[in-house]
Amino acid sequence: MSVLRTERLCRSFGNLIVTSDVNLTVEDGERHVIIGPNGAGKTSLINQIGGQLAPSSGRIFVKEVDITSWPPDRVCRMGVARTFQRNNLFQKLSVIENLRLAVQARRGNPLNFFTPVKRLRDLIGRAEAVMRQVHLDGDGGRLVRNLSYGEQRQLEVGIALAGEPDLLLLDEPTSGMSPAETGRMIELIAGLPRSLSILMIEHDMKVVFSLADRITVLYYGEVLATGTAAEIQANDRVREVYLGVAH
Amino acid sequence: MDFLFAQLINGLVYGMLLFLMAAGLSLIFGLMNVVSLAHGSFFMLGAFLGLAAFQATHSFWAALVLAPLPTLVLGIIMELLFMRPLYRRGHLDQVLLTFGFTFVFFDAVKSIWGSDIRSLPTPEALQGVVHIAGGVFSDYRLFLIGLGVSLAILFWLFLERSRLGAMVRAGVDDSTMAAGLGANIPALFTGVFAVGVGLAGLGGVAAGPVLGLYPGMDADILIPSFIVIVIGGMGSLRGAFLGSLLIGEADTFGKAYVPSMALFLIYLVMAVVLLVRPQGLFGIKHTGAAAAPVSAPLRTGAPPAQIRVAGVVVLAAMLLYPFLVAGYPRTLIAEIYIFGIFAMSLDVLLGYTGLMSLGHGAFFGLGAYAVVILGSFFGLNAWLGVAAGVLVAAFGAVVVGFFCVRAIGVTFLMLTLAFSQLIYSVALKWRDVTGGSDGIGIPGKPSFFGWDLSDSLVMYYMTLIFFVLCYWSLRRLINSPLGHVFIGVRENEPRMQAIGYRTRAYKLLSFTIGGTVAGFAGGLYAIFNGFISPDAIYWSASGDILIMVMLGGAGTLIGPVFGAGIFLLMKNLVSSYSEHWMFIIGSIFIACVLFFPGGIWGTVRQFELRQLWLKRRPA
Repeated sequence: MSVLRTERLCRSFGNLIVTSDVNLTVEDGERHVIIGPNGAGKTSLINQIGGQLAPSSGRIFVKEVDITSWPPDRVCRMGVARTFQRNNLFQKLSVIENLRLAVQARRGNPLNFFTPVKRLRDLIGRAEAVMRQVHLDGDGGRLVRNLSYGEQRQLEVGIALAGEPDLLLLDEPTSGMSPAETGRMIELIAGLPRSLSILMIEHDMKVVFSLADRITVLYYGEVLATGTAAEIQANDRVREVYLGVAH
Repeated sequence: MDFLFAQLINGLVYGMLLFLMAAGLSLIFGLMNVVSLAHGSFFMLGAFLGLAAFQATHSFWAALVLAPLPTLVLGIIMELLFMRPLYRRGHLDQVLLTFGFTFVFFDAVKSIWGSDIRSLPTPEALQGVVHIAGGVFSDYRLFLIGLGVSLAILFWLFLERSRLGAMVRAGVDDSTMAAGLGANIPALFTGVFAVGVGLAGLGGVAAGPVLGLYPGMDADILIPSFIVIVIGGMGSLRGAFLGSLLIGEADTFGKAYVPSMALFLIYLVMAVVLLVRPQGLFGIKHTGAAAAPVSAPLRTGAPPAQIRVAGVVVLAAMLLYPFLVAGYPRTLIAEIYIFGIFAMSLDVLLGYTGLMSLGHGAFFGLGAYAVVILGSFFGLNAWLGVAAGVLVAAFGAVVVGFFCVRAIGVTFLMLTLAFSQLIYSVALKWRDVTGGSDGIGIPGKPSFFGWDLSDSLVMYYMTLIFFVLCYWSLRRLINSPLGHVFIGVRENEPRMQAIGYRTRAYKLLSFTIGGTVAGFAGGLYAIFNGFISPDAIYWSASGDILIMVMLGGAGTLIGPVFGAGIFLLMKNLVSSYSEHWMFIIGSIFIACVLFFPGGIWGTVRQFELRQLWLKRRPA
């Protein structure tokens, strides 16, 4: 069964078409990477799946449920979590609180208005587990705005994981990172359990070829090709418009 | 038929005066994202400066030309010296700043010209009348229509045809992009602000012969102007023009045909337009998230020992205080406890959820009126009245909140303002039940578990008990998972949505909790005061509460209580030996917004965090 399927998805802003007839499938447990030059409509596609942007036409199915144009919170409750290209965190809150809020949305009772959060050991325990998973152990009490950029990037992924999704949407998780930080991030993503399906945007070709089960190439909003790393590398049109430019 | 036509013309005249206000307000908002609450003050200043110019020159025309100039200069000074340093903060901080100025200007006008109603005479050349279609119209009114239309055309030509106008339009569209393309945005801001203020001043002079001059005319013109730009769509000149005509006619016809319903009519028009088109008739949908006003930093750990010790000492002082004094000083502190509860309730939405309401007084009023009305008509026990008032306030908050949380930032603020004015107008106009502007009292003070509340000692402890109870409950709320959801919404609403929270529902919940607690405070106030009048729920009363919260420190629970204390002490003590308490509190508030954005308690918290950081830093 596919965890995500889009059907002839289209989106335009006036005359500018950012998503054009996109049919994309992510199978259960698959690591699917989207590549494409700047302005290919990668983030717009993620935004439509995540509910941040409504498509002009076409349909989106998560686990065969039609979620087209659902608001982000409802999409999230379907088991889809996402990260943002630019860090989108709770800057004035502590690391543990950032994660705890995400854990609470999934497991806690957000309408509880009486128990101090400090006493919710199970939620905090779960948040601490995620903190270790994204290599931020010991940083729980720090305010996010005092973290380094790379650490904030790790937390960005952590918040998404804390919601225990079935499908993880990663919008350029390594962007702006140093080579060492990128290495750690790749390790983190590669170490995620296979029960979790991942749809990821990435620029770094080394990362793409090391992680991806399948790759989709977007070009001016259209799907140019979909296939395994070998198929994509062998594809003439991709070589012409994309790899040819990059290498 | 004649009467109808005459009303049509009168509506047109009022609409033109509204347009002179709304055009500036709307463009200032479109460009700077700031709604200037001081815009009505400039209208009032223009009118009174016009009076001064008339007294000096004995020429209305000289007044009309001269008076807007000093008004404009004041506007430029305000923009350059006070608003500009705040551009890097949230827009709502600038709105707060302009609110502080309304106090200062009001006090200035009142102390220079007194509180009597004054009038500007109609210029001699326009004292005649014209007969049109069987109706008689004064020349001056027709002149006002001509003035409004020609200024609208001039303004339109400037925006559409001139290079500078194109820059303004570009700035309204996207000020970052316009700056990138070479527009001098800060100069543009100052220029548009000055033009807007100048138009408001001109409007004030022109309105002089029609509407009269009095301190308080600032709010009377500001609120309908807000409704105009909400209806027309913020940032749109066309919207301001058509919205002005619509409200001018609706108000005039309402007053002529359904006098008791006139006030509702314009709010009704607004509610309908907003339901059908939330961005207003010609507005562009603003998708950007609103910037919440500055809230104090959160404490990450337990409060330090000094704060705990201070807390115990203060609580002991509160318990012992009534034995040290008697009479008025006791009553004053009891009043501070009630307003402390009220201020904390606003802080739930303002400081913790990032929703800046300028209509919170309405829920206080619902609670208070419930006690008094049920008591005097049905002889209901005042405590049952408080319970009923809490329910009414909760219900009111759900309904009002349902509409308001659809909007963000400044639009939210204006909607809460409009709804609270709607409730105010009910209190004012439903005379049989509310006693109208005279207010209404309860037959006698109830007892408190057998104790007589007319004894100031009993009253003191009663308010203290409820104050401590509310403080404790709200503290539990803030530290609970729900409270942290509110904080999350304040900090980053889009991310809260992305991790699965229905943020709009939580905002409504926060609004409802705040409104409910405010209703409780209102009920207590009715028992405390024994009397309630519409003044207690006028928009400026909501503004006072906003000042208390910001002064004490939004985003802390105890801060607003200090704010309430300082505000009421100032109001009661300073006013006894100086007439200028509004000027003083306005200036303090302006200084607070400029230099202590977290308020008093926020500054304490900053200091605390700094100490913590110094301690943790390895030596």
